[in-house]
Amino acid sequence: MSGLVAPRSPGTHFWRVFFIGGLISYRALFYWISPWQYIPTMLGAPLFQILFFVYLGRAAGVGSTNFFVVGNSIQICSMAGIYGMTMAIANERSFQTLSPILATPSNRLALFLGRGLPVLISALQTCLFGFLVSALLLGFRPSLPDLPGLALAVLVTSASCTGFGMALGSIGLRVRDVFLVSNIAYFLMLLLCGVEVPIGRLPLLLRALAQLLPLTHGIAAGRALAAGAGFLTALPNILLELLVGCAWAAAAYLLFAFFERSGRRSGAFDRL
Amino acid sequence: MSAGAELARPVFRRGPAPLAWPRTLLTGWFFQLKMQAQSGFMVLTALVQPLIFASIAMTDQQAGNRTLPLLYYALGAGIMGIWSTVVFGCGGVISWQRHQGMLEPLVMAPAPFVLVLLGITLGTATVGLYSMGATLVWGWLVFGAQLHFASPLLFVAAVVVTVVSLGLLGLVLGSSFVLYRNSNAISNMLEYPVWLITGLLVPLSLLPGWTHPLAYLLAPTWGVEALRAAAIGGDSAIPLLWCLVASAGYLLLGIWLVRVVERRARQHATLNFQ
Repeated sequence: MSGLVAPRSPGTHFWRVFFIGGLISYRALFYWISPWQYIPTMLGAPLFQILFFVYLGRAAGVGSTNFFVVGNSIQICSMAGIYGMTMAIANERSFQTLSPILATPSNRLALFLGRGLPVLISALQTCLFGFLVSALLLGFRPSLPDLPGLALAVLVTSASCTGFGMALGSIGLRVRDVFLVSNIAYFLMLLLCGVEVPIGRLPLLLRALAQLLPLTHGIAAGRALAAGAGFLTALPNILLELLVGCAWAAAAYLLFAFFERSGRRSGAFDRL
Repeated sequence: MSAGAELARPVFRRGPAPLAWPRTLLTGWFFQLKMQAQSGFMVLTALVQPLIFASIAMTDQQAGNRTLPLLYYALGAGIMGIWSTVVFGCGGVISWQRHQGMLEPLVMAPAPFVLVLLGITLGTATVGLYSMGATLVWGWLVFGAQLHFASPLLFVAAVVVTVVSLGLLGLVLGSSFVLYRNSNAISNMLEYPVWLITGLLVPLSLLPGWTHPLAYLLAPTWGVEALRAAAIGGDSAIPLLWCLVASAGYLLLGIWLVRVVERRARQHATLNFQ
């Protein structure tokens, strides 16, 4: 019997939901997609953030310009990672489209991970912009042989922040004002992850917490690479960042599955 | 009172004419204060964010080799918080009024729209006072900052003048935001540059010379200088005076801008654009 829609193999269906579904959800749910929003928020604010902290470091007489340039240029990827993923998941609930989506038989992993890809690309764009303006305005010159390694550190850190953002977004399936949580997480990471303050200056408890957060190891790797320490020196931190990112993505998937199950039982998806 | 008399009573009691405008302003200020104090986002902006920035600045100060006092950073971070609440509060409130469909009734009401906006922006700036208190207490408790004010009375005067001047600067911003649909994006971008060029945490002498004229046009520059002079020591009268001059300038500019944008928005029917 022929249906209206030709049956597809499960593999094709997975990738279709992953790529096309992810792109559509990004276009529909990412607040800052129009150039009028994207340029001031995703490029303008990060540019001034880099300048602000470089000058703050100079005023306090702490760290080098490169310390703040690398820290902030990598950290700004978390803007897309955290807020973008929060929007990509939690906004389904705000816009009351969550129930219809969860009523479909689509593969949840594809549905979930597909939303991360456009966000990851956006995070990489922001990082690249940060490094470019730092090179133009602040004389940032990383060692050329270590550029591919720095690019890898940025990619892994962006992915790791996206995983963290997925976890926060999943919380949005239950919590009403998830953007408050995202905001607090975003600003706390400035303090805890070694972006503006050397981690060694933090109290022990906060230092331990920083090890579990994205950015910490990626920034450490980026700084080592920018200083010309070599890829092998930075590799352990890159691998640790990858591990942290995978752990957050796995936690996010479990949270998503848990909140989906409990939301179906309690009918919480439509509560605003 | 009979039902007829009850219906005939005006909804809003009209007082003596000279008191009508202050009452509008005071009511708007108080209403805004109550609303903002219950907003999780504003509490975050006014409390959590300044504490994080104060912690970063003070930790860097302790790690670095410059000797600016911790109070210098605590005060700067406090004004940063007030500026954030103003920049997000003004843009956010007008977007929210527009989103709720309240902007048209507010513009159409007999009360001058500029007074309604001024109440909103002054209320928002007042919420920012949380930041000042929080960063001072945080600096004292966690970092051991010395809270000995050289001139407590002048410090209080400087706080009041700074908050009012920031509220008036918010009026200028807010009146521009009425016409601009992506005002929240501009708010997102306006935080760091103003923090930087007004010398809240970075001394102006470290910044390029071309930023100084811009800094002198912005009230936070004079406000923080007056606060620091009153707290740490120095002459706070001149910066206070400049802060008042800037406030008067913002008020005049704000009144003119509100008139222009209100007329344009009515002509182009953009008041209720989402």
